[in-house]
Amino acid sequence: MTDWLIVLTIGIPWLGALAVWLTGDARPQLQHRLAVIFAVAAGAAAVALLPSTSSEVALRIEVGSIFGDFTFVPDGLGVFLAVVASVVGSLAVIFSVDYMHGEAQLGRYYTLVLLFIGAMVGLVLSGSMLLLFIFWEITALCSYALISFYNDDPKAVAGGIKALVITQFGGLGMLVGALIAYSYLGDYQISTFLAEADTLPSDVLAVMAFGFLAAAAAKSAQVPFHTWLPGAMEAPTPVSALIHAATMVNAGVYLLARFYPAFEGVSGWTTAVILVGMVSALLAAFMAIYANDLKRALAYSTISQLGYMVYAVGTGAIFASQFHLLSHAVFKALLFLAAGAVIHTVGTRDMRQMGGLGKQLPFVRNVFIIGALALAGLPFVNGFWSKELVLEYGYKHGPLWAYVGMLIGAGLTALYTVRMVWMVFFGRSQKRGHLHDAGPAMRVALGVLAVGTLTSWLLIGGFGEMLEENLPFHHLHVESMATLLEEVVTAPATYLALGVVAVGLLLWAWRDPLAMISAGLWPLGEAATHDFGFEWLNARIVAGTRAAAGALRTTQTGWLNWNVAGIIGGLLIVLVFLALGA
Amino acid sequence: MTTSEIVLVGVLALLGAGLYGLLITRNLIKVVIALQILVKGGLLALVAAGEASGQTNLGQSLAMTVIVADTVVAVVGLALAIQARRLLGTLDLKALSNLRG
Amino acid sequence: MIIACLVVGAAICAVLAIRATRLLSAALWLAGVSALVAIALYELGAQQVAVIELSVGAGLVTVLFVFAISIAGDDAMTARSPISRRLAVSLIGLFAALLGWMVLPLDAPESATAAEATFSTLLWEDRALDVLVQLVLIFCGVLSMLGILQDTHISARQETLEAAVPDERFSGNGHHSPEPLTDTPPVETVPEEVHA
Repeated sequence: MTDWLIVLTIGIPWLGALAVWLTGDARPQLQHRLAVIFAVAAGAAAVALLPSTSSEVALRIEVGSIFGDFTFVPDGLGVFLAVVASVVGSLAVIFSVDYMHGEAQLGRYYTLVLLFIGAMVGLVLSGSMLLLFIFWEITALCSYALISFYNDDPKAVAGGIKALVITQFGGLGMLVGALIAYSYLGDYQISTFLAEADTLPSDVLAVMAFGFLAAAAAKSAQVPFHTWLPGAMEAPTPVSALIHAATMVNAGVYLLARFYPAFEGVSGWTTAVILVGMVSALLAAFMAIYANDLKRALAYSTISQLGYMVYAVGTGAIFASQFHLLSHAVFKALLFLAAGAVIHTVGTRDMRQMGGLGKQLPFVRNVFIIGALALAGLPFVNGFWSKELVLEYGYKHGPLWAYVGMLIGAGLTALYTVRMVWMVFFGRSQKRGHLHDAGPAMRVALGVLAVGTLTSWLLIGGFGEMLEENLPFHHLHVESMATLLEEVVTAPATYLALGVVAVGLLLWAWRDPLAMISAGLWPLGEAATHDFGFEWLNARIVAGTRAAAGALRTTQTGWLNWNVAGIIGGLLIVLVFLALGA
Repeated sequence: MTTSEIVLVGVLALLGAGLYGLLITRNLIKVVIALQILVKGGLLALVAAGEASGQTNLGQSLAMTVIVADTVVAVVGLALAIQARRLLGTLDLKALSNLRG
Repeated sequence: MIIACLVVGAAICAVLAIRATRLLSAALWLAGVSALVAIALYELGAQQVAVIELSVGAGLVTVLFVFAISIAGDDAMTARSPISRRLAVSLIGLFAALLGWMVLPLDAPESATAAEATFSTLLWEDRALDVLVQLVLIFCGVLSMLGILQDTHISARQETLEAAVPDERFSGNGHHSPEPLTDTPPVETVPEEVHA
């Protein structure tokens, strides 16, 4: 039964991808309809997996003893992310019916989106590192192709290639880790690795741990690999909501959480994870404050919130990090889709040209504000509970410096959130013609996500139980819902965090009296708009690679014969080395 | 000399012949022929090595894979050659590589 | 010893295939290499591999070569490689000598491990993923061959469509080559002929 549900959850979107592709771009209505049907069916299949979570292998595809079997394990962590991927995926597809209305090449769009949904579900459910890597790469490929969807726009193509190169670099770290595990344990199964991780030599385990950290940081757009995410905003907005806010970027956090029990003991690893999370959270928050492009601001806030999750994993708060992941997936998808509705009707992404849209787009304004409340961490929407849990756990079990950094980050989050809402929906309104509020399909998607943002924290109890029951290696002890909520409400850390959030809000309210100070901070703004030099670093690396390639080009004579001579020469050198060594 | 050693000498001869062909030929089809000879050497080497190391069946099953890959290479290489001749009128590698666009 | 004869024969055929000036004779010598290697494999006890090699390598691939050569023409190549024969021979000699010196003589052969799986188990079960990837490889090979062979029609159609716009893509090559192989006149000038 469970095995069939897994096959369905992965297979339905892939079948849908095939169906939409074969339909052809001549029948766009049918394409919309097919995509929605398949995506919703996949979402239903994933939800149906919820009652049958277990830590046992549910589906085993035998591919020979040499490679180890391909297994799928429907444990709490995997199923929960599979549900997020396919439900948010189906909402993004529903949203696309309005958003992509009349666009050319719908077939390519929906095919890639559906392929992505299936691959993402496969990624989180797979129990074999080799299979995990394969799905990991499929999602990267879909992400690249969708960022470059408008492939006549050089910015979109550049953004796509940047995302591909950076995430591939991370993927290499993961492949190395998986191969090391295989060479020592003779098995690709994650459960084997988690059970026998302490039998590996500690330096080998350290290589794996940091390889996986690099993979996670690249996928989750953490410092110093974060530069691809703002560039990825050239993708159609539903794609940004699905891939670059709610699902694929979470894969890195998922990876860290999944392998945390094995790497916990590696010296310096948890500190490195905390550091990466904190630096990402703070830097991205600063960048969000100075960003004027609505989608870029949201992208920076995604980096920042992912930083919170990474930090939580570093402090050992697996449950809090996954719970924040759930909240973030819901409210950030909501924010992105609402931003998409705004961009769709206004025709620009520049917040300076928006202003005063609230009156004309009341529905979008309302849902956006709900999402913004969650992002800022104000009571009592889902973002509040999860962020407070992260901070509380960090206060108790993490180092103090990191906790202070995350608190400042919470204040900055509140500041950039209210700035964003103000610039888009309030403030001085621009002269413009009549604007259409969101269409029916958009309203469905936005409405569902808004309700989710308001209520998803109620799942905290069941979610904790699910993780506790079938993650045998994590030794989680999650209290009941009432205890958790009470803990959050009564903890002094909560009020401290709320106080910092209030300071952030007040900073915006008093921005005119404080203009002197903010003017004095211009170097910070300058640095933030230039991405704190990371873009420069990127450009240098690219330029260096190009220069090296240009220099090496002289070796490419265009003569096959010389190339073969070169190969034989290389072979001779290897042979000489081997002969000397032997 | 054992059987495996005799075969390995033959493998060396085949590899040498194939590499020599790759070094001196400029004809696309001839390149495919040279590649084929190289792969035959590899095939023999796999089986002989399997024999010599006591893993006969592993060597043979790998050799089977090599035959498949090798056939695909030959087919695609020949299709390319036909197309190059049709569209560009030459099989000369230098002439073909000068056509970079 | 029969193996020695077979291996020497294969090596001689290989050298003749490389030295042949006409493509067709090179392809036939290659078939000889393939057949002799297949028999050698049989003698070595790799019967399944030998049968496949004989039918695919010596049979199918040879047919493909003859077919391709008959389409692409069998004119003798006079152009020389930039690498002199002497350099090539010395490189290869060095390579073979070094490799031979390292490999030979072999260590005493281990006795076959009793636990080793049978050939078919190894191929179909233990390396099932490999077999799957091979299927994909064959599929890709077929697809790319179809794509490559169809390309003429597609580009011809495009050129018909773009006849008004001078297409510079092939200037200075195929259409102006000294002896075009096909009877079709240059496409830009007489686009109607393409479909003939």
